Amino acid sequence: MSDPVVIETADLSKAYDASTEALRGLTLQVPSGSIYGFLGKNGAGKTTTIKTLLGMVKPTGGIARVFGLDATNPQASVAIRQRAAFVSEDKDLIDSMTVDEIARFTASFFPTWRADLAQQYRQTFDLRPAQSVKQLSRGARTKLALLLALCRGAELLILDEPTSGLDPAAAEEVLQVLVRHVATEPLTIFFASHQLSEVDQIADHVGIIDRGRMAVAGALDDLRAQFRRIQVVFDGAAPTPAFRTAAVKRVRREGRVLTILTSADADAVVAEARALNPVAIDVAPVTLKDIFLESVNAEA
Amino acid sequence: MLWYKAWLDTRWPFLIGLAILVVLACGNVFEYPTTARLLPLADTLPHGTGIVGRAIDEAIQTQRDYRGFIWWQWVRQNFTQTWTLFAVLLGSGGLLVSGSKGALFTAALPASRKQLLGIRAGACMIELLVLAVVPSLLIWLLSPAVGESYSLTTALVHASCMFLAGVVFYSFAVLMSTTFHDMWRPALVTCLVAIGIGVVETVVRQMGGYGVFAVMRAETYFRSGALPWGGLLVTIAISASLFYAALLNFVQLDL
Repeated sequence: MSDPVVIETADLSKAYDASTEALRGLTLQVPSGSIYGFLGKNGAGKTTTIKTLLGMVKPTGGIARVFGLDATNPQASVAIRQRAAFVSEDKDLIDSMTVDEIARFTASFFPTWRADLAQQYRQTFDLRPAQSVKQLSRGARTKLALLLALCRGAELLILDEPTSGLDPAAAEEVLQVLVRHVATEPLTIFFASHQLSEVDQIADHVGIIDRGRMAVAGALDDLRAQFRRIQVVFDGAAPTPAFRTAAVKRVRREGRVLTILTSADADAVVAEARALNPVAIDVAPVTLKDIFLESVNAEA
Repeated sequence: MLWYKAWLDTRWPFLIGLAILVVLACGNVFEYPTTARLLPLADTLPHGTGIVGRAIDEAIQTQRDYRGFIWWQWVRQNFTQTWTLFAVLLGSGGLLVSGSKGALFTAALPASRKQLLGIRAGACMIELLVLAVVPSLLIWLLSPAVGESYSLTTALVHASCMFLAGVVFYSFAVLMSTTFHDMWRPALVTCLVAIGIGVVETVVRQMGGYGVFAVMRAETYFRSGALPWGGLLVTIAISASLFYAALLNFVQLDL
Protein backbone atom coordinates (compact mmCIF):
# COMPACT_ATOMS: atom_id res chain seq x y z
CA MET A 1 0.00 0.00 0.00
CA SER A 2 2.80 2.36 -0.88
CA ASP A 3 0.85 4.39 -3.46
CA PRO A 4 -0.84 7.40 -1.87
CA VAL A 5 -3.72 6.96 -4.29
CA VAL A 6 -5.19 3.51 -4.96
CA ILE A 7 -7.81 4.46 -7.54
CA GLU A 8 -7.43 7.31 -9.96
CA THR A 9 -9.58 8.28 -12.92
CA ALA A 10 -9.28 11.33 -15.12
CA ASP A 11 -11.88 12.51 -17.59
CA LEU A 12 -13.29 8.97 -17.73
CA SER A 13 -16.16 8.49 -20.13
CA LYS A 14 -18.28 5.56 -21.19
CA ALA A 15 -21.08 5.55 -23.72
CA TYR A 16 -22.90 2.22 -24.18
CA ASP A 17 -24.55 3.65 -27.28
CA ALA A 18 -25.30 7.04 -28.77
CA SER A 19 -28.07 7.72 -26.27
CA THR A 20 -26.62 6.11 -23.12
CA GLU A 21 -23.70 7.98 -21.64
CA ALA A 22 -22.95 6.37 -18.29
CA LEU A 23 -19.78 8.35 -17.53
CA ARG A 24 -19.11 11.86 -18.75
CA GLY A 25 -15.60 12.88 -17.75
CA LEU A 26 -15.39 11.36 -14.28
CA THR A 27 -12.37 12.40 -12.24
CA LEU A 28 -11.83 10.48 -9.02
CA GLN A 29 -9.05 9.86 -6.52
CA VAL A 30 -9.29 7.31 -3.73
CA PRO A 31 -6.55 7.65 -1.10
CA SER A 32 -4.81 4.55 0.15
CA GLY A 33 -6.20 3.23 3.43
CA SER A 34 -9.44 5.18 3.18
CA ILE A 35 -13.04 4.05 3.37
CA TYR A 36 -14.41 5.86 0.35
CA GLY A 37 -18.16 6.20 -0.02
CA PHE A 38 -19.13 6.59 -3.65
CA LEU A 39 -22.57 8.15 -3.64
CA GLY A 40 -24.98 8.68 -6.44
CA LYS A 41 -28.57 8.22 -7.47
CA ASN A 42 -29.60 5.10 -9.36
CA GLY A 43 -28.17 5.29 -12.86
CA ALA A 44 -25.59 7.94 -11.93
CA GLY A 45 -22.72 5.76 -13.17
CA LYS A 46 -21.53 4.05 -9.98
CA THR A 47 -21.63 0.47 -11.26
CA THR A 48 -20.12 1.43 -14.61
CA THR A 49 -17.25 3.12 -12.76
CA ILE A 50 -16.64 -0.01 -10.70
CA LYS A 51 -16.79 -2.30 -13.72
CA THR A 52 -14.36 -0.04 -15.56
CA LEU A 53 -11.92 -0.14 -12.65
CA LEU A 54 -12.05 -3.95 -12.69
CA GLY A 55 -11.59 -4.23 -16.46
CA MET A 56 -15.10 -5.54 -17.11
CA VAL A 57 -16.17 -2.52 -19.13
CA LYS A 58 -14.05 -0.68 -21.68
CA PRO A 59 -14.25 3.10 -21.33
CA THR A 60 -14.73 5.25 -24.42
CA GLY A 61 -12.27 7.85 -23.17
CA GLY A 62 -10.12 9.03 -20.28
CA ILE A 63 -7.85 7.29 -17.83
CA ALA A 64 -8.61 4.66 -15.18
CA ARG A 65 -5.83 3.45 -12.91
CA VAL A 66 -5.88 1.10 -9.94
CA PHE A 67 -2.64 0.59 -7.97
CA GLY A 68 -1.06 2.68 -10.72
CA LEU A 69 -2.02 0.05 -13.31
CA ASP A 70 -4.04 0.83 -16.41
CA ALA A 71 -7.45 -0.77 -15.85
CA THR A 72 -8.16 -0.77 -19.59
CA ASN A 73 -5.21 -3.04 -20.31
CA PRO A 74 -6.30 -6.72 -20.19
CA GLN A 75 -3.05 -7.96 -18.61
CA ALA A 76 -2.97 -5.12 -16.09
CA SER A 77 -6.61 -5.70 -15.19
CA VAL A 78 -5.80 -9.29 -14.22
CA ALA A 79 -3.07 -7.93 -11.91
CA ILE A 80 -5.60 -5.45 -10.48
CA ARG A 81 -8.10 -8.21 -9.78
CA GLN A 82 -5.33 -10.19 -8.09
CA ARG A 83 -5.03 -7.39 -5.52
CA ALA A 84 -8.67 -6.29 -5.34
CA ALA A 85 -11.90 -7.92 -4.20
CA PHE A 86 -15.34 -7.13 -5.54
CA VAL A 87 -18.80 -7.72 -4.16
CA SER A 88 -21.49 -6.98 -6.73
CA GLU A 89 -24.84 -5.43 -5.97
CA ASP A 90 -26.67 -8.70 -6.67
CA LYS A 91 -24.15 -10.63 -4.53
CA ASP A 92 -23.46 -12.71 -7.61
CA LEU A 93 -21.97 -16.07 -6.64
CA ILE A 94 -21.66 -19.49 -8.24
CA ASP A 95 -24.95 -21.10 -7.30
CA SER A 96 -23.94 -24.61 -8.34
CA MET A 97 -21.32 -24.77 -5.57
CA THR A 98 -21.56 -25.28 -1.84
CA VAL A 99 -20.21 -22.76 0.68
CA ASP A 100 -17.07 -24.82 1.13
CA GLU A 101 -16.58 -25.34 -2.62
CA ILE A 102 -16.86 -21.67 -3.48
CA ALA A 103 -14.42 -20.82 -0.68
CA ARG A 104 -11.90 -23.36 -2.03
CA PHE A 105 -12.58 -22.18 -5.58
CA THR A 106 -11.88 -18.56 -4.64
CA ALA A 107 -8.86 -19.47 -2.52
CA SER A 108 -7.24 -21.21 -5.49
CA PHE A 109 -6.80 -17.83 -7.21
CA PHE A 110 -5.24 -16.07 -4.24
CA PRO A 111 -1.97 -17.23 -2.68
CA THR A 112 -2.67 -14.70 0.08
CA TRP A 113 -5.95 -16.45 1.06
CA ARG A 114 -6.48 -16.36 4.84
CA ALA A 115 -7.86 -19.75 5.82
CA ASP A 116 -7.90 -18.77 9.50
CA LEU A 117 -9.99 -15.71 8.74
CA ALA A 118 -12.32 -17.73 6.51
CA GLN A 119 -12.94 -20.17 9.33
CA GLN A 120 -13.55 -17.31 11.75
CA TYR A 121 -16.01 -15.51 9.45
CA ARG A 122 -17.80 -18.74 8.61
CA GLN A 123 -18.53 -19.19 12.30
CA THR A 124 -19.41 -15.53 12.83
CA PHE A 125 -21.77 -15.56 9.86
CA ASP A 126 -23.18 -19.01 10.71
CA LEU A 127 -22.48 -20.40 7.24
CA ARG A 128 -22.47 -24.19 6.99
CA PRO A 129 -19.77 -25.60 4.65
CA ALA A 130 -22.08 -28.12 2.98
CA GLN A 131 -24.86 -25.61 2.39
CA SER A 132 -25.67 -24.94 -1.25
CA VAL A 133 -25.04 -21.35 -2.34
CA LYS A 134 -28.29 -21.43 -4.27
CA GLN A 135 -30.29 -21.98 -1.10
CA LEU A 136 -28.76 -19.13 0.91
CA SER A 137 -30.96 -16.25 1.99
CA ARG A 138 -30.20 -12.75 0.74
CA GLY A 139 -28.48 -11.91 4.02
CA ALA A 140 -26.43 -15.11 4.04
CA ARG A 141 -25.41 -14.51 0.40
CA THR A 142 -24.13 -11.06 1.34
CA LYS A 143 -22.18 -12.51 4.25
CA LEU A 144 -20.67 -15.23 2.07
CA ALA A 145 -19.76 -12.70 -0.63
CA LEU A 146 -18.11 -10.60 2.05
CA LEU A 147 -16.24 -13.59 3.47
CA LEU A 148 -14.89 -14.43 0.00
CA ALA A 149 -13.82 -10.83 -0.50
CA LEU A 150 -12.25 -10.26 2.91
CA CYS A 151 -10.27 -13.50 3.13
CA ARG A 152 -8.37 -13.25 -0.14
CA GLY A 153 -5.86 -10.81 1.34
CA ALA A 154 -6.89 -8.04 -1.03
CA GLU A 155 -5.49 -4.54 -0.70
CA LEU A 156 -8.65 -2.99 -2.13
CA LEU A 157 -12.23 -3.98 -1.45
CA ILE A 158 -14.78 -2.72 -3.97
CA LEU A 159 -18.39 -3.04 -2.87
CA ASP A 160 -21.41 -2.16 -4.97
CA GLU A 161 -24.37 -1.40 -2.72
CA PRO A 162 -23.17 -3.84 -0.04
CA THR A 163 -26.32 -3.71 2.07
CA SER A 164 -28.95 -3.55 -0.64
CA GLY A 165 -31.89 -5.80 0.14
CA LEU A 166 -30.83 -6.37 3.75
CA ASP A 167 -32.92 -5.60 6.81
CA PRO A 168 -31.48 -2.91 9.12
CA ALA A 169 -30.03 -5.45 11.57
CA ALA A 170 -28.26 -7.40 8.81
CA ALA A 171 -27.04 -4.18 7.19
CA GLU A 172 -25.61 -3.02 10.50
CA GLU A 173 -23.87 -6.38 10.99
CA VAL A 174 -22.25 -6.10 7.57
CA LEU A 175 -21.06 -2.56 8.26
CA GLN A 176 -19.63 -3.56 11.62
CA VAL A 177 -17.72 -6.43 10.04
CA LEU A 178 -16.23 -4.03 7.52
CA VAL A 179 -15.23 -1.53 10.17
CA ARG A 180 -13.67 -4.22 12.36
CA HIS A 181 -11.85 -5.74 9.40
CA VAL A 182 -10.37 -2.47 8.22
CA ALA A 183 -9.21 -1.75 11.78
CA THR A 184 -7.04 -4.87 11.79
CA GLU A 185 -6.05 -5.33 8.14
CA PRO A 186 -4.36 -2.85 5.77
CA LEU A 187 -7.16 -2.24 3.31
CA THR A 188 -8.80 0.44 1.20
CA ILE A 189 -12.56 0.19 0.84
CA PHE A 190 -14.37 1.76 -2.09
CA PHE A 191 -18.08 1.31 -1.77
CA ALA A 192 -20.85 2.55 -3.95
CA SER A 193 -24.11 3.31 -2.24
CA HIS A 194 -27.12 5.51 -2.16
CA GLN A 195 -27.58 4.86 1.55
CA LEU A 196 -26.37 8.15 3.00
CA SER A 197 -26.56 6.94 6.59
CA GLU A 198 -24.14 4.09 5.85
CA VAL A 199 -21.64 6.34 4.18
CA ASP A 200 -21.95 8.84 7.01
CA GLN A 201 -21.40 5.99 9.48
CA ILE A 202 -18.26 4.38 8.12
CA ALA A 203 -16.70 6.45 5.32
CA ASP A 204 -13.89 8.91 5.83
CA HIS A 205 -13.92 10.09 2.21
CA VAL A 206 -16.83 10.60 -0.13
CA GLY A 207 -17.38 11.25 -3.79
CA ILE A 208 -20.79 12.18 -5.15
CA ILE A 209 -21.35 11.22 -8.76
CA ASP A 210 -24.14 12.80 -10.72
CA ARG A 211 -24.97 11.96 -14.31
CA GLY A 212 -21.53 10.49 -14.92
CA ARG A 213 -19.55 13.39 -13.45
CA MET A 214 -18.04 13.93 -10.02
CA ALA A 215 -20.13 16.59 -8.32
CA VAL A 216 -18.39 16.71 -4.94
CA ALA A 217 -15.39 14.83 -3.56
CA GLY A 218 -13.18 14.99 -0.51
CA ALA A 219 -12.59 13.94 3.06
CA LEU A 220 -15.93 13.76 4.86
CA ASP A 221 -14.71 15.87 7.79
CA ASP A 222 -13.40 18.53 5.39
CA LEU A 223 -16.70 18.61 3.54
CA ARG A 224 -18.63 18.96 6.79
CA ALA A 225 -16.27 21.71 7.97
CA GLN A 226 -16.28 23.65 4.72
CA PHE A 227 -19.78 23.30 3.30
CA ARG A 228 -22.25 25.89 4.53
CA ARG A 229 -25.81 26.79 3.74
CA ILE A 230 -26.36 30.53 3.72
CA GLN A 231 -29.90 31.83 3.80
CA VAL A 232 -30.36 35.46 2.84
CA VAL A 233 -33.76 37.05 3.52
CA PHE A 234 -34.93 40.21 1.74
CA ASP A 235 -37.75 42.70 2.30
CA GLY A 236 -39.23 42.03 -1.11
CA ALA A 237 -38.52 39.45 -3.79
CA ALA A 238 -34.99 38.05 -3.64
CA PRO A 239 -32.66 39.24 -6.41
CA THR A 240 -30.83 36.87 -8.79
CA PRO A 241 -27.23 37.78 -8.12
CA ALA A 242 -24.14 36.27 -9.74
CA PHE A 243 -21.70 35.43 -6.95
CA ARG A 244 -18.01 35.90 -7.68
CA THR A 245 -16.87 33.37 -5.07
CA ALA A 246 -15.90 30.20 -6.90
CA ALA A 247 -16.93 27.98 -4.00
CA VAL A 248 -20.63 28.70 -4.50
CA LYS A 249 -22.14 25.37 -5.55
CA ARG A 250 -25.77 26.30 -5.89
CA VAL A 251 -28.08 29.29 -5.49
CA ARG A 252 -31.82 28.80 -5.05
CA ARG A 253 -34.29 31.67 -5.09
CA GLU A 254 -37.70 31.20 -3.45
CA GLY A 255 -39.79 34.33 -2.85
CA ARG A 256 -37.94 36.54 -0.37
CA VAL A 257 -35.26 33.95 0.41
CA LEU A 258 -32.02 33.21 -1.37
CA THR A 259 -30.41 29.89 -0.31
CA ILE A 260 -26.76 29.47 -1.18
CA LEU A 261 -24.73 26.28 -0.81
CA THR A 262 -21.01 26.92 -0.67
CA SER A 263 -18.21 24.39 -0.47
CA ALA A 264 -15.79 26.90 1.16
CA ASP A 265 -15.20 30.63 1.78
CA ALA A 266 -18.52 31.15 3.54
CA ASP A 267 -17.27 34.51 4.85
CA ALA A 268 -16.61 35.79 1.34
CA VAL A 269 -20.08 34.69 0.21
CA VAL A 270 -21.64 36.39 3.26
CA ALA A 271 -19.78 39.59 2.40
CA GLU A 272 -21.12 39.44 -1.15
CA ALA A 273 -24.62 38.78 0.17
CA ARG A 274 -24.46 41.79 2.53
CA ALA A 275 -23.88 44.03 -0.45
CA LEU A 276 -27.40 43.07 -1.62
CA ASN A 277 -28.96 44.79 1.47
CA PRO A 278 -30.80 41.80 2.95
CA VAL A 279 -32.76 41.96 6.18
CA ALA A 280 -31.17 38.81 7.57
CA ILE A 281 -28.36 36.38 6.82
CA ASP A 282 -28.11 32.95 8.44
CA VAL A 283 -25.09 30.64 8.04
CA ALA A 284 -25.61 26.97 8.99
CA PRO A 285 -23.51 23.80 8.72
CA VAL A 286 -24.83 21.10 6.42
CA THR A 287 -25.17 17.35 6.68
CA LEU A 288 -23.95 14.82 4.11
CA LYS A 289 -27.59 14.42 3.10
CA ASP A 290 -27.80 18.16 2.36
CA ILE A 291 -24.62 18.05 0.31
CA PHE A 292 -25.83 15.00 -1.58
CA LEU A 293 -29.28 16.37 -2.31
CA GLU A 294 -27.97 19.76 -3.36
CA SER A 295 -25.38 18.11 -5.61
CA VAL A 296 -27.60 15.63 -7.38
CA ASN A 297 -30.63 17.86 -7.65
CA ALA A 298 -28.69 20.67 -9.31
CA GLU A 299 -29.63 21.50 -12.88
CA ALA A 300 -27.65 19.70 -15.53
CA MET B 1 -10.42 -24.75 -10.29
CA LEU B 2 -11.74 -23.00 -13.41
CA TRP B 3 -11.89 -26.48 -14.94
CA TYR B 4 -14.09 -27.58 -12.08
CA LYS B 5 -16.38 -24.59 -12.60
CA ALA B 6 -16.54 -25.34 -16.34
CA TRP B 7 -17.55 -28.90 -15.46
CA LEU B 8 -20.27 -27.66 -13.09
CA ASP B 9 -21.55 -25.28 -15.76
CA THR B 10 -21.72 -27.90 -18.51
CA ARG B 11 -22.28 -31.19 -16.69
CA TRP B 12 -26.05 -31.43 -17.22
CA PRO B 13 -26.16 -31.01 -21.01
CA PHE B 14 -23.16 -33.34 -21.18
CA LEU B 15 -24.65 -36.05 -18.95
CA ILE B 16 -28.06 -35.85 -20.60
CA GLY B 17 -26.41 -36.03 -24.03
CA LEU B 18 -24.31 -39.00 -22.95
CA ALA B 19 -27.34 -40.84 -21.59
CA ILE B 20 -29.33 -40.25 -24.80
CA LEU B 21 -26.44 -41.32 -27.05
CA VAL B 22 -25.81 -44.45 -25.00
CA VAL B 23 -29.49 -45.42 -25.18
CA LEU B 24 -29.58 -44.74 -28.93
CA ALA B 25 -26.37 -46.71 -29.54
CA CYS B 26 -27.71 -49.70 -27.61
CA GLY B 27 -31.07 -49.37 -29.32
CA ASN B 28 -29.46 -49.38 -32.77
CA VAL B 29 -27.43 -52.52 -32.05
CA PHE B 30 -30.36 -54.47 -30.64
CA GLU B 31 -32.66 -53.32 -33.43
CA TYR B 32 -30.50 -55.03 -36.06
CA PRO B 33 -31.90 -58.59 -35.79
CA THR B 34 -35.42 -57.28 -36.46
CA THR B 35 -34.24 -55.19 -39.42
CA ALA B 36 -32.24 -58.10 -40.79
CA ARG B 37 -35.38 -60.29 -40.65
CA LEU B 38 -37.46 -57.67 -42.46
CA LEU B 39 -34.94 -56.73 -45.17
CA PRO B 40 -35.80 -59.65 -47.55
CA LEU B 41 -39.35 -58.31 -47.66
CA ALA B 42 -37.99 -55.08 -49.10
CA ASP B 43 -36.84 -56.97 -52.20
CA THR B 44 -40.47 -57.69 -53.09
CA LEU B 45 -41.19 -53.96 -53.26
CA PRO B 46 -40.99 -52.20 -56.65
CA HIS B 47 -37.94 -49.96 -57.16
CA GLY B 48 -38.72 -46.36 -56.30
CA THR B 49 -38.43 -43.43 -58.63
CA GLY B 50 -37.65 -39.81 -57.89
CA ILE B 51 -35.59 -38.47 -54.99
CA VAL B 52 -37.58 -40.27 -52.28
CA GLY B 53 -37.66 -43.56 -54.16
CA ARG B 54 -33.93 -43.44 -54.77
CA ALA B 55 -33.32 -42.62 -51.13
CA ILE B 56 -35.41 -45.62 -50.01
CA ASP B 57 -33.50 -47.86 -52.42
CA GLU B 58 -30.21 -46.53 -51.12
CA ALA B 59 -31.30 -47.13 -47.52
CA ILE B 60 -32.27 -50.71 -48.26
CA GLN B 61 -29.10 -51.44 -50.22
CA THR B 62 -26.84 -49.88 -47.61
CA GLN B 63 -28.37 -51.78 -44.69
CA ARG B 64 -27.96 -55.23 -46.20
CA ASP B 65 -25.03 -55.96 -43.89
CA TYR B 66 -24.41 -55.05 -40.25
CA ARG B 67 -21.72 -52.48 -40.97
CA GLY B 68 -24.03 -50.77 -43.46
CA PHE B 69 -26.94 -50.91 -41.04
CA ILE B 70 -24.88 -49.29 -38.25
CA TRP B 71 -23.59 -46.61 -40.59
CA TRP B 72 -27.02 -45.80 -41.97
CA GLN B 73 -29.05 -45.91 -38.78
CA TRP B 74 -26.49 -44.90 -36.18
CA VAL B 75 -23.66 -42.88 -37.74
CA ARG B 76 -25.63 -41.19 -40.47
CA GLN B 77 -28.73 -40.37 -38.42
CA ASN B 78 -28.94 -40.81 -34.63
CA PHE B 79 -25.27 -40.19 -33.82
CA THR B 80 -24.86 -37.18 -36.13
CA GLN B 81 -28.11 -35.47 -35.18
CA THR B 82 -27.89 -36.02 -31.42
CA TRP B 83 -24.19 -35.24 -31.17
CA THR B 84 -24.66 -32.03 -33.19
CA LEU B 85 -27.55 -30.95 -30.95
CA PHE B 86 -25.46 -31.36 -27.79
CA ALA B 87 -22.46 -29.65 -29.38
CA VAL B 88 -24.75 -26.67 -30.01
CA LEU B 89 -26.15 -26.74 -26.46
CA LEU B 90 -22.67 -26.92 -24.91
CA GLY B 91 -21.51 -24.00 -27.05
CA SER B 92 -24.49 -21.79 -26.28
CA GLY B 93 -24.67 -19.44 -23.34
CA GLY B 94 -21.78 -19.59 -20.93
CA LEU B 95 -20.36 -16.59 -19.13
CA LEU B 96 -22.22 -14.13 -21.28
CA VAL B 97 -25.79 -15.12 -20.58
CA SER B 98 -27.50 -11.99 -19.29
CA GLY B 99 -28.00 -12.21 -15.55
CA SER B 100 -26.45 -15.65 -15.38
CA LYS B 101 -25.42 -16.62 -11.89
CA GLY B 102 -21.72 -16.33 -11.30
CA ALA B 103 -20.83 -14.26 -14.37
CA LEU B 104 -19.76 -11.14 -12.47
CA PHE B 105 -18.17 -13.18 -9.68
CA THR B 106 -16.08 -15.08 -12.22
CA ALA B 107 -15.21 -11.96 -14.22
CA ALA B 108 -13.89 -10.34 -11.03
CA LEU B 109 -11.37 -13.14 -10.49
CA PRO B 110 -7.75 -12.71 -11.57
CA ALA B 111 -8.19 -14.66 -14.78
CA SER B 112 -8.06 -13.25 -18.30
CA ARG B 113 -11.01 -13.52 -20.64
CA LYS B 114 -8.91 -15.75 -22.90
CA GLN B 115 -8.34 -18.08 -19.95
CA LEU B 116 -12.04 -18.12 -19.05
CA LEU B 117 -13.21 -18.89 -22.57
CA GLY B 118 -10.29 -21.21 -23.30
CA ILE B 119 -10.82 -23.38 -20.22
CA ARG B 120 -14.57 -23.61 -20.80
CA ALA B 121 -13.92 -24.57 -24.42
CA GLY B 122 -11.33 -27.12 -23.27
CA ALA B 123 -13.83 -28.71 -20.90
CA CYS B 124 -16.47 -28.80 -23.64
CA MET B 125 -13.99 -30.35 -26.09
CA ILE B 126 -13.31 -33.18 -23.64
CA GLU B 127 -17.04 -33.67 -23.10
CA LEU B 128 -17.72 -33.68 -26.85
CA LEU B 129 -14.92 -36.19 -27.35
CA VAL B 130 -16.50 -38.43 -24.69
CA LEU B 131 -19.90 -38.00 -26.39
CA ALA B 132 -18.31 -39.21 -29.61
CA VAL B 133 -16.13 -42.03 -28.29
CA VAL B 134 -18.25 -43.70 -25.57
CA PRO B 135 -21.28 -44.57 -27.73
CA SER B 136 -19.00 -45.63 -30.57
CA LEU B 137 -17.17 -48.01 -28.24
CA LEU B 138 -20.52 -49.34 -27.08
CA ILE B 139 -21.37 -50.28 -30.67
CA TRP B 140 -18.10 -52.22 -30.87
CA LEU B 141 -18.64 -53.85 -27.45
CA LEU B 142 -22.32 -54.76 -27.89
CA SER B 143 -22.20 -56.09 -31.44
CA PRO B 144 -21.30 -59.68 -30.40
CA ALA B 145 -24.51 -59.68 -28.33
CA VAL B 146 -26.51 -59.74 -31.59
CA GLY B 147 -24.14 -62.19 -33.24
CA GLU B 148 -22.26 -59.56 -35.26
CA SER B 149 -18.87 -57.93 -35.12
CA TYR B 150 -17.97 -54.31 -35.61
CA SER B 151 -14.37 -53.22 -36.00
CA LEU B 152 -12.86 -51.11 -33.22
CA THR B 153 -10.96 -49.14 -35.85
CA THR B 154 -14.17 -48.31 -37.69
CA ALA B 155 -15.82 -47.24 -34.44
CA LEU B 156 -12.91 -44.98 -33.56
CA VAL B 157 -12.67 -43.52 -37.07
CA HIS B 158 -16.34 -42.55 -36.96
CA ALA B 159 -15.98 -41.13 -33.44
CA SER B 160 -12.93 -39.10 -34.50
CA CYS B 161 -14.54 -37.73 -37.65
CA MET B 162 -17.71 -36.87 -35.73
CA PHE B 163 -15.69 -34.96 -33.13
CA LEU B 164 -13.14 -33.26 -35.38
CA ALA B 165 -15.61 -32.07 -38.02
CA GLY B 166 -18.60 -31.53 -35.72
CA VAL B 167 -16.72 -29.11 -33.49
CA VAL B 168 -17.51 -26.55 -36.17
CA PHE B 169 -21.06 -26.33 -34.74
CA TYR B 170 -19.74 -25.91 -31.21
CA SER B 171 -17.46 -23.06 -32.36
CA PHE B 172 -20.29 -21.42 -34.26
CA ALA B 173 -22.52 -21.59 -31.16
CA VAL B 174 -19.75 -20.02 -29.06
CA LEU B 175 -19.40 -17.22 -31.61
CA MET B 176 -23.16 -16.67 -31.54
CA SER B 177 -23.02 -16.59 -27.73
CA THR B 178 -20.60 -13.67 -27.89
CA THR B 179 -23.11 -11.89 -30.12
CA PHE B 180 -26.43 -12.72 -28.44
CA HIS B 181 -26.16 -12.69 -24.67
CA ASP B 182 -28.70 -15.35 -23.84
CA MET B 183 -28.88 -19.12 -24.01
CA TRP B 184 -31.53 -19.72 -26.64
CA ARG B 185 -30.79 -17.40 -29.55
CA PRO B 186 -27.27 -18.81 -30.13
CA ALA B 187 -28.68 -22.34 -29.90
CA LEU B 188 -31.54 -21.57 -32.23
CA VAL B 189 -29.42 -19.77 -34.83
CA THR B 190 -26.81 -22.56 -34.82
CA CYS B 191 -29.48 -25.26 -35.12
CA LEU B 192 -31.03 -23.42 -38.06
CA VAL B 193 -27.61 -23.13 -39.71
CA ALA B 194 -27.01 -26.87 -39.14
CA ILE B 195 -30.40 -27.75 -40.59
CA GLY B 196 -29.68 -25.49 -43.57
CA ILE B 197 -26.34 -27.16 -44.19
CA GLY B 198 -27.98 -30.57 -43.87
CA VAL B 199 -30.64 -29.69 -46.44
CA VAL B 200 -28.07 -28.26 -48.87
CA GLU B 201 -25.88 -31.35 -48.50
CA THR B 202 -28.82 -33.64 -49.14
CA VAL B 203 -29.87 -31.74 -52.23
CA VAL B 204 -26.36 -31.16 -53.59
CA ARG B 205 -24.97 -34.68 -53.28
CA GLN B 206 -21.90 -33.70 -55.32
CA MET B 207 -20.52 -31.97 -52.20
CA GLY B 208 -19.90 -35.55 -51.11
CA GLY B 209 -16.78 -35.74 -49.03
CA TYR B 210 -16.54 -32.05 -48.28
CA GLY B 211 -19.92 -31.26 -46.74
CA VAL B 212 -19.66 -30.88 -42.94
CA PHE B 213 -22.13 -33.68 -42.26
CA ALA B 214 -20.54 -35.94 -44.86
CA VAL B 215 -17.19 -35.48 -43.10
CA MET B 216 -18.79 -36.02 -39.66
CA ARG B 217 -20.30 -39.29 -40.96
CA ALA B 218 -16.99 -40.25 -42.62
CA GLU B 219 -19.01 -41.26 -45.69
CA THR B 220 -15.92 -41.73 -47.86
CA TYR B 221 -14.43 -44.04 -45.22
CA PHE B 222 -17.61 -46.09 -45.09
CA ARG B 223 -17.94 -46.38 -48.85
CA SER B 224 -14.31 -46.68 -49.95
CA GLY B 225 -12.13 -46.84 -46.85
CA ALA B 226 -10.64 -43.41 -47.59
CA LEU B 227 -10.43 -41.02 -44.68
CA PRO B 228 -11.83 -37.54 -45.49
CA TRP B 229 -8.54 -35.77 -44.76
CA GLY B 230 -9.34 -32.73 -46.90
CA GLY B 231 -12.76 -32.30 -45.32
CA LEU B 232 -11.34 -32.74 -41.84
CA LEU B 233 -8.66 -30.12 -42.44
CA VAL B 234 -11.18 -27.66 -43.85
CA THR B 235 -13.67 -28.12 -40.98
CA ILE B 236 -10.91 -27.91 -38.36
CA ALA B 237 -9.67 -24.68 -39.97
CA ILE B 238 -13.23 -23.27 -39.99
CA SER B 239 -13.74 -24.28 -36.34
CA ALA B 240 -10.48 -22.62 -35.30
CA SER B 241 -11.40 -19.43 -37.20
CA LEU B 242 -14.87 -19.29 -35.65
CA PHE B 243 -13.46 -19.83 -32.17
CA TYR B 244 -10.80 -17.18 -32.70
CA ALA B 245 -13.49 -14.72 -33.82
CA ALA B 246 -15.49 -15.60 -30.68
CA LEU B 247 -12.41 -14.97 -28.55
CA LEU B 248 -11.82 -11.55 -30.14
CA ASN B 249 -15.48 -10.69 -29.55
CA PHE B 250 -15.38 -11.89 -25.95
CA VAL B 251 -12.25 -9.93 -25.06
CA GLN B 252 -13.88 -6.71 -26.26
CA LEU B 253 -17.27 -7.20 -24.62
CA ASP B 254 -18.62 -5.19 -21.72
CA LEU B 255 -19.94 -7.44 -18.95
